[in-house]
Amino acid sequence: MLTYILRRIIQTLMVIILLSYVIFTIMALMPGDPVELMISSNPKITPEDVVRLREFYGLDQPAWKRYGNWVSTLAQGDLGYSRTYRVPVTDLLGPRLWNTFVLSMAAMVFSLVVAIPLGIISALKPGGKLDSFLNFFSFAGISIPSFWLGIMLIIIFAVKLGWFPAGGTQTIGLENASIWARIVDSSYFLVLPVLSLSIQGIGRFVRFTRSAMMEALRNDFIRTAKAKGLPRSVVLWKHAFRNALIPLITVVALSISSVFSGAILTETVFSYQGVGKLVFDSIIANDFNVAMVSFIISISMVLLMNLVADILYGFADPRISYS
Amino acid sequence: MRNMALAFFVTLGLGLHAGAAPSNKELKIGISQEFENMNPLIMTMSATTYMYRMVGRTLDVLDADAKWVPNLAKDIPSREKGTAQIVEIGGKKKLVAHWEILENAKWGDGKPVTCEDFAFARTVAASPTVSVGEKETFTQIEKIEWDAKTPKKCVFTYEKPRWDFYQLANFFPLPKHIEGPVWEKYGKQKEGYEKNSNYVKNPTNKGLYNGPYVVTSVRLGDHVAFEPNPHFYGEKPKIEKVIVKLISNTGTMEANLRSGTIDMISTLGFALDQALAFDKKAKSEGLPYVTHFVPSITYEHIDLLLDNPILSDLKVRKALMHSINREDLVKALFEGKQSAAQHFVSPKDPWYTTDPKFVTTYRYSKREAQKLFDEAGWKVGADGYRHKGGKKLSLTFMTTAGNKTRELVQTYLQEQWKQVGVEILIKNEPAKVFFGETTRKRKFGSMAMYAWVSSPENNPRSTLHSKSIPSDKNGWSGQNNPGWVNASVDKAIDSMDTEFDAKKRMAYAWEMQKAYTEEVPVIPLYYRSDISVVPASLKNYRMPGHQFHETTEIEKWTF
Repeated sequence: MLTYILRRIIQTLMVIILLSYVIFTIMALMPGDPVELMISSNPKITPEDVVRLREFYGLDQPAWKRYGNWVSTLAQGDLGYSRTYRVPVTDLLGPRLWNTFVLSMAAMVFSLVVAIPLGIISALKPGGKLDSFLNFFSFAGISIPSFWLGIMLIIIFAVKLGWFPAGGTQTIGLENASIWARIVDSSYFLVLPVLSLSIQGIGRFVRFTRSAMMEALRNDFIRTAKAKGLPRSVVLWKHAFRNALIPLITVVALSISSVFSGAILTETVFSYQGVGKLVFDSIIANDFNVAMVSFIISISMVLLMNLVADILYGFADPRISYS
Repeated sequence: MRNMALAFFVTLGLGLHAGAAPSNKELKIGISQEFENMNPLIMTMSATTYMYRMVGRTLDVLDADAKWVPNLAKDIPSREKGTAQIVEIGGKKKLVAHWEILENAKWGDGKPVTCEDFAFARTVAASPTVSVGEKETFTQIEKIEWDAKTPKKCVFTYEKPRWDFYQLANFFPLPKHIEGPVWEKYGKQKEGYEKNSNYVKNPTNKGLYNGPYVVTSVRLGDHVAFEPNPHFYGEKPKIEKVIVKLISNTGTMEANLRSGTIDMISTLGFALDQALAFDKKAKSEGLPYVTHFVPSITYEHIDLLLDNPILSDLKVRKALMHSINREDLVKALFEGKQSAAQHFVSPKDPWYTTDPKFVTTYRYSKREAQKLFDEAGWKVGADGYRHKGGKKLSLTFMTTAGNKTRELVQTYLQEQWKQVGVEILIKNEPAKVFFGETTRKRKFGSMAMYAWVSSPENNPRSTLHSKSIPSDKNGWSGQNNPGWVNASVDKAIDSMDTEFDAKKRMAYAWEMQKAYTEEVPVIPLYYRSDISVVPASLKNYRMPGHQFHETTEIEKWTF
C-alpha cells in the first residue's frame, strides 16, 4: 500500500510540473497584461512608462524564462506578489481559500446529509409516489441555474423578508468580536449561498445514491441476507449501502477536489469573498502569480482526492487491494 | 406542492423589507470594481483612487466645478502672484515654485505634513525599484528644498518650465516618519518597498493618512471601512462611519440597495441602462433615492483605421459622418442622459469649442453622404450596396463583446450606414483581446469603438501625436490607433506644454479640434455620463464628472 501511495505521489508531482508549464505558456499567449489595466485607468501614462513597466514586470521576456523565474521563487517558499492587487499572494489567497472551503464544504455536507437518506428512500420503492416526487425535485435542482436561484433567494429572503443579508462574508466592523460571535455572524451570511449551492448538489447526490442503492439492492447477496432473516436495517445499511458506497465515494471525492476551486457564479451573485472570482479575475488580468498558485491548488486537489478515493475503495470493499 | 408554489408567489408579493434609513451614523457605498492596496504611489485602479481621496489629499485638486483649488497647500503658486518663476540653471530653463503647506495639515497620528513627506514621495517614486505607473508626475520635479526652521515652506524645482506645473493632484505625499524605515530596509530590493510598505502590512495605521477619514478595516475583494480623522486640517466630516463595499455583480447591486446592505451606489457601480431602469422604478415606486447623470470627460468614439484603403479617402470618412444621426442616437438609446460628441474635447473642458471657425460639423444628411460616396467613386449596385472597381463598400466594425450599450449603438449605426449603401460587418471581441491585442496592435481592420478617458486641459499627445502611433518599433505603445499624421497637430502638441499664455494654449487646442473635425480620423459619438444613486436625504453631494472623484469633498456630505 505504501509503495502504491508513494508511486502515485511521484506521478502527481510530475503531472503538476507538466501542467503548470503548459498553463503558464497558455496564459503567456493571452493578449493583454497588467500594464494594459493601468493605461485604461490613467490617461497620463506615457509610452515610456509602458515600456518601463513591461520591463520591470519581466513581461518583455519569453514565457520559458518567466516560468523559470516563477518556479525558482516558488522553490524559495515565496508564492509571489499579485500585480493586480499589489499584495503578496499568500495574503490575498489565504482568507479567500478558507472562505471558499467553508462555503463549499458546508454546501457539500448539507447536500449529502439531505441527499443520501432521500436517495435511499427513493431507491426502496422505485416508481412510487415519493420516488416520483423526489425525482422531480432532483431534476429541478440539477436544472435550475445557480445564478438565477441565487438572485431569487436574495429577492425573497434579503429584499422582501429581510431575514438574511443580500451578500457579503461577515458583518463589517465585527472583526474584533469574540470567535463565537464571528462564527454565528458568518453562518448568517452563509445561509443563502449554501442553500443556492446545495440545491444543485442535493439533486445530483439523490440521483447517484438512488441508482447506486437500486443496483446494490438487486444483488443476490441481498436476497440471501433477507432470506436469512436479517433485520431490515442490517440488510439496508450493512449489505446494500456499503456496496453502494463505491460509486458514491468517487462522486464525493471528485466533488471535494473542487472545494478550493470556488463557485464563481454563487460567489459573484452573493459578493462572497471566495477564490472563484479571484481566479477568474486574475486570469483576465494576466495576474500570473495568483492564477498559477490557484491552478496548482486545484490540480493538486483533484489528483489528491482521486488518490484518497482509490484508498477508500479498499476500505469500502475488501476485495480491492493495492498490495 | 400546490401549497409550496402558493407560498412562493405570496412571498414574492410581500412588501419591500425596510432597511434602516441612512444617517450620519453610517454610510455604506456600493462599488462594482475591484480595488488594490492603498499605497498612493502604487495604486492604479479607479476604485482605489475613489477611496483614497477620502483618506489622502494633495497640494491641490480639480474640484467639481473643474477649477484647481488648494487642498494641503495654502495657495496655488503662479507666475502672476510671483510664487513661481522661470529660472535658468546650468544653461537650461527650469521652473521654481513656492508651495506652502497648511499649518494644521497633519497625518492621522497627529504628526505634521511637511515638505519632507513630499520629497520622500518623490524619492520613492523616482526609484527604479518601485513600480510607479505614471512616473512623470513625480520626476518632473527635480528637487524639493526647505529650510529646517520652516518645514512647511517648500521650494519645488521643475525639470522643465511647463504651464501645468501646479496640477499636482496625483502627487501624494508619503509619511516619512512611518514609511521611511521601510524604505531604508527594503528600498534597494526590486519591489521590496511596495511589498513591505505599511499600506500593505498595516493599512489601518492612522499615520498613513492625512484626509478627512482614516482606514479602520480593509478586506481586499470585500470592503474598506473609514472613520473620521481627528487631525484633519479641514471641515470636520459629518458622517461617523463610511463603508465602501464591493459588489462585483451589478445585477445584484440593486437588490443590495433595496435590502439596505448598501445605502448608495457610487460612480463605479451601475451601467447606464441599469441606471435608466432603476431611475424609472425609483420614481414610480417612490423610493427614497436620486439617480444622478452627470456629463463626464469620457469620450466614446469610433477609430477609423487610416491604413485601410477605403478609409484613407477623406470623402468616405466625411460621408460616414453625414450618414449617422448622433443626436437621434443619444435620444433613442440614452433618453438624452448622454450628449452627442463633436470631437475629443469634452464640454467640461475649458478648451471645448463649437465655433464653426474651428469645428467642422457634420449634420445628418443622407443626400450629402450619398453625394460624397458618389464623388469618391463608390456607386450603388443592384444589391443596394456601393461598389468600386468590383469591390463592395464593406467595413468591419469592432467593439467589446458583451457591452450592452455598445452593442446597441453598433446595431443602430449599422442600420444607418446600410441605408446609404455601406455594409457593416460586426465583429466583437472580449475586452481583454480587443484592448490587449486588436486595438493595441491596430488590427481592427476598419472601425473600433471604445472610449478615451481624458482630463480637462489635457495635452492629447498619447492619442493624437504621430509619434504615438503604436508600432513594433515603439513596442506598441501610444494610443494613436487610427494612425493619424498631421504636422500642424504634432507642432501644436509639442508647443503646448511650455506655453504659459492661456490664450495661446487655447488657440493650439482649437487648431487641433479644427484639424480633427476636418480630417475625421475618428468618428465622435457621445460623451458618457457618470452615474450614481444616492439617498434623497444626502446633502452636499456633487459629482465632478472627471477623474478626481466626488470623494474629494466627502467631508461635506451630510444627512
